[in-house]
Amino acid sequence: MEPEIIREIMERVPLDDALRYSGVPKPTEEDFAEMRAAADRLKRSLQPRRVWKVFPVEKTPDGMSLVGSGLVLSGHMAETMLADCPSAVLLACTAGTALDGAIRTWQSRDMAAAVLMDGYGSAFVEAVADQVEQEISARFPDLYKTDRFSPGYGDLPLDLQPEILTALNAYRLAGIAATDSLMLQPCKSITAVLGLSPRPQRARIRGCGYCALRETCRIRKGGNSCAL
Amino acid sequence: MRSDVWNSGLIVLDGAMGTMLQRHGLQPGECPEMWNLQHPERLEKIHKAYIDAGSQVIYANTFGANRRKLTPLGTTVSEVVSAGIAIAKRAAAGTDVLVALDIGPLGELLEPMGSLTFEDAMDRFREIALAGAAAGADLAVIETMTDLSEARAAVLAVRESTDLPILVSLSFGEDGRTFTGCTPAAMARTLSGLGVSAVGVNCSLGPDSLAPIVAEIARNTKLPVLCKPNAGLPDPATGAYNLTPEDFAQGMLACLEAGATLLGGCCGTNPAYITALKKALEGKTPAAREWDGASVVCSATNVCRIDGVRVIGERVNPTGKKRFQQALLEQDLDYILEVAIAEEEAGADILDVNVGYPGVDEVDMLPRVVKKIQSAVSLPLQLDTTNPATLEAGLRVYTGKAAVNSVNGNPESMEKILPLVRKYGASVVALTLDDTGIPQTAEERVAVAKRICAAAEAMGIAKEDIWVDCLTLTVSAQQEQARETLQAVRTVREEMGLQTVLGVSNISFGLPNRPLITQTFLVEAMHAGLTLPILNPNQREMMDAVSAFRVLSGEDEGSTAYVERFAGWKPAAQAAAAPAVQEKSAAPAAGGTVRTLQDAIIKGMQVEAACMATAMLETESELSLVEQHLIPALDRVGDDYGAGKVFLPQLLRAAQAAQSVFEVLRTSLAAKGGAPVKKGRLILATVKGDIHDIGKNIVKVVLENYGYEVLDLGRDVPPEKVVETAVQENIRLVGLSALMTTTLPAMEETLKQLKALPNPPLVMGGGAVLTPAYAEQIGLDFYSKDARDAVEIARKVFGN
Repeated sequence: MEPEIIREIMERVPLDDALRYSGVPKPTEEDFAEMRAAADRLKRSLQPRRVWKVFPVEKTPDGMSLVGSGLVLSGHMAETMLADCPSAVLLACTAGTALDGAIRTWQSRDMAAAVLMDGYGSAFVEAVADQVEQEISARFPDLYKTDRFSPGYGDLPLDLQPEILTALNAYRLAGIAATDSLMLQPCKSITAVLGLSPRPQRARIRGCGYCALRETCRIRKGGNSCAL
Repeated sequence: MRSDVWNSGLIVLDGAMGTMLQRHGLQPGECPEMWNLQHPERLEKIHKAYIDAGSQVIYANTFGANRRKLTPLGTTVSEVVSAGIAIAKRAAAGTDVLVALDIGPLGELLEPMGSLTFEDAMDRFREIALAGAAAGADLAVIETMTDLSEARAAVLAVRESTDLPILVSLSFGEDGRTFTGCTPAAMARTLSGLGVSAVGVNCSLGPDSLAPIVAEIARNTKLPVLCKPNAGLPDPATGAYNLTPEDFAQGMLACLEAGATLLGGCCGTNPAYITALKKALEGKTPAAREWDGASVVCSATNVCRIDGVRVIGERVNPTGKKRFQQALLEQDLDYILEVAIAEEEAGADILDVNVGYPGVDEVDMLPRVVKKIQSAVSLPLQLDTTNPATLEAGLRVYTGKAAVNSVNGNPESMEKILPLVRKYGASVVALTLDDTGIPQTAEERVAVAKRICAAAEAMGIAKEDIWVDCLTLTVSAQQEQARETLQAVRTVREEMGLQTVLGVSNISFGLPNRPLITQTFLVEAMHAGLTLPILNPNQREMMDAVSAFRVLSGEDEGSTAYVERFAGWKPAAQAAAAPAVQEKSAAPAAGGTVRTLQDAIIKGMQVEAACMATAMLETESELSLVEQHLIPALDRVGDDYGAGKVFLPQLLRAAQAAQSVFEVLRTSLAAKGGAPVKKGRLILATVKGDIHDIGKNIVKVVLENYGYEVLDLGRDVPPEKVVETAVQENIRLVGLSALMTTTLPAMEETLKQLKALPNPPLVMGGGAVLTPAYAEQIGLDFYSKDARDAVEIARKVFGN
């Protein structure tokens, strides 16, 4: 992505989210200053890439088929989300390998700084995905988007990960790979699906019910939610 | 086959295979290489279309024919590759078109980004290369690589197992780098040294955008350059590419102009593009090339062009350094990495790496240290060993173009070292000594330099890759030798035109105020023509002298770097109280004055904590410092963390301050020859399949600062390795980390194997998806919710 767009994405990264991912749920002004410093250090290591493609949606007995991608999204989640969508976008995006390298380096220099950078990286790649959503909206101004959802959310199987990458040629076009254990590489990468519909879509993915971390989540134990 | 074919004018390659396969009915998600077995006639038709369009080299349909992809489909690399080559050869029969074995990326990230080791990658490439050569391919193309390390693994595998000529191309993005940050210059310098026939670019962008990248490659290699761009950029909504065959062909003229002579197309192109390209190239000749003859060493991301004084850091070396020796013996690679990082921060341009010490298996250690340093430091490395086996082990895994320290005038040294320098395309330091010792005069040293230079050049090592070390002797012992050394440097630089290396620190041995002598010698040597001083970059006087020299030599234009270095400079008397240079990037001072060591630790003030600890060692023992000050401070932060009053970064800052105190204690104990403070040893590992290890590393930092010795097995650790280490080291506590639901089974398996031991250790587990219930279900002894919890568990287990 061009430097101006990366700058814009950086401006939109919610620092309180980044801090929360770093284990700082109630940040002080000083914490914000440190997170800004972490972001500044990472500036040159952020090399976001993305790839996305639109496919027609067809309901089949095995799940929602993205025609021409070879993918069938099984489960209740995909069925609900795409119920009203003639087409859907598959997307993959990443903050890049240099970020992983920077976090690795800082783990040897200053673990506290590395933890902040790691949190920033998580928030940043979410912001990259938001940027992709904007691109999609700009390309299809007359269509409405559903929330984006990813393998591992709800009952959308995690083992779709490699198939999504293949369908998008994401290794070649964005440098994103999946391990045999279904982890994405680089670490700060996202794959997601979002439906496109001629009618407005209501927000559905909110709340802890969808989250794989709900049983151990510190935020949730404190009676709060991260409003994912 | 004509070996000079790549140098003979323009060669038209073929266009996209994937695009054509889709056009012929390849379904999404279908494996393209399986068509070699299922639809040979369609492939033959595609190859023929490219031949008819004018392609002189066709790429067989073997791009993704690797073990990982084919095994699940019930076939083998050998079967698919042989079929692919056979089809291409049928299509080319009766023409002089060459058939290339096409080798693409393995689809998995190599270490340190991923978990595939360099050695495993080579193994997989070797299998492909052997199959391709056996099937009669005319050459191998290694393409669409984005990781220089993977490209090297592929090149070495093909070279070592076949005699096929190799063309190699990487994919660069809009920012002029590959996904992994490799630059065109680094790629060209590295791969040109590995004995390939051409280097270049393919895929990712259209010809216009690739032309500047081609130009940079062309400046950095003497080899022919290849260029296979996409048909412009794809529309994300439809996947259609935006250039017509004619636009594409016009764009390719810019790549020709930039120096490419092997031209073809990648994604989105088809035979019509090749026809248009062929037509556009009619009557054209290769562009004039301009070779940048500068001496260069590089990593994948950092090219060090030696066109001025470049500092080689000397600190990654155990000689005379107890703490470093201890780290080598304990295989504490993290410490070694910290030393390297500090040198990079201090301004070194190249790092010398020496791991030779009694009791250390250098052949095993050097590649590990090289990988470790390259995982976090971008500077090029100079591998410092005279043992050929060690050297080869290091050069093999080094990503980039390394320097070798060293060869000397002894015939045996030249016979053993120079072939390795040639094979791996490195630069080499030539010591001006031989079996008769160190010559006493400048003339004699220059004579040795000339002898080594002749032998190296005869072997095909370029002049710019030979760096001469005229040897620094101790001035307090042999006073007249300083002038001889300087004279030799002058002659080598002026008459032979070579780069010059000197380890300068030796000069002042045995004299008071050593930095003054060393600095003065350094300045004289640079003036005489020294370009590559080997020194301690943490010593401010030395880097100051280099900085000043760069102003006087004109290299530091407008004195910009100098002014920046000395911003806020004060005369010595006023600066007397200022802290030393080699500080870690100091943690932000949490404000207020610090009265006690406990305070300093709690507030995460590393420098202060270390200073106080040093002072307190005058009156207290190491152990008492740990028990009376360090642990109570950490406990207080830990309690506050548990109560939600402070958060993870503060906990870690305190741990890091404690770490700096531990460093003081370790150094103090190492100096006395005593054992380090250790309260118990345990294993930490991120389980098999799991590559996210920051959580485990956090736990490690905190445990270490409570005085526990952590054997960190890293990430993606097979159960067997954990068991083996537990047995060998007689471990009583093992900590396992897993981040994903997909890797929890690996935790369970590791636990099962540990518990099957006759005297099983206790096992704690942690990680984002692990719940107390699941921990209990699989039989973990402890569930550790965070780093603080891990400390409590360790205390329980070790009873302290």
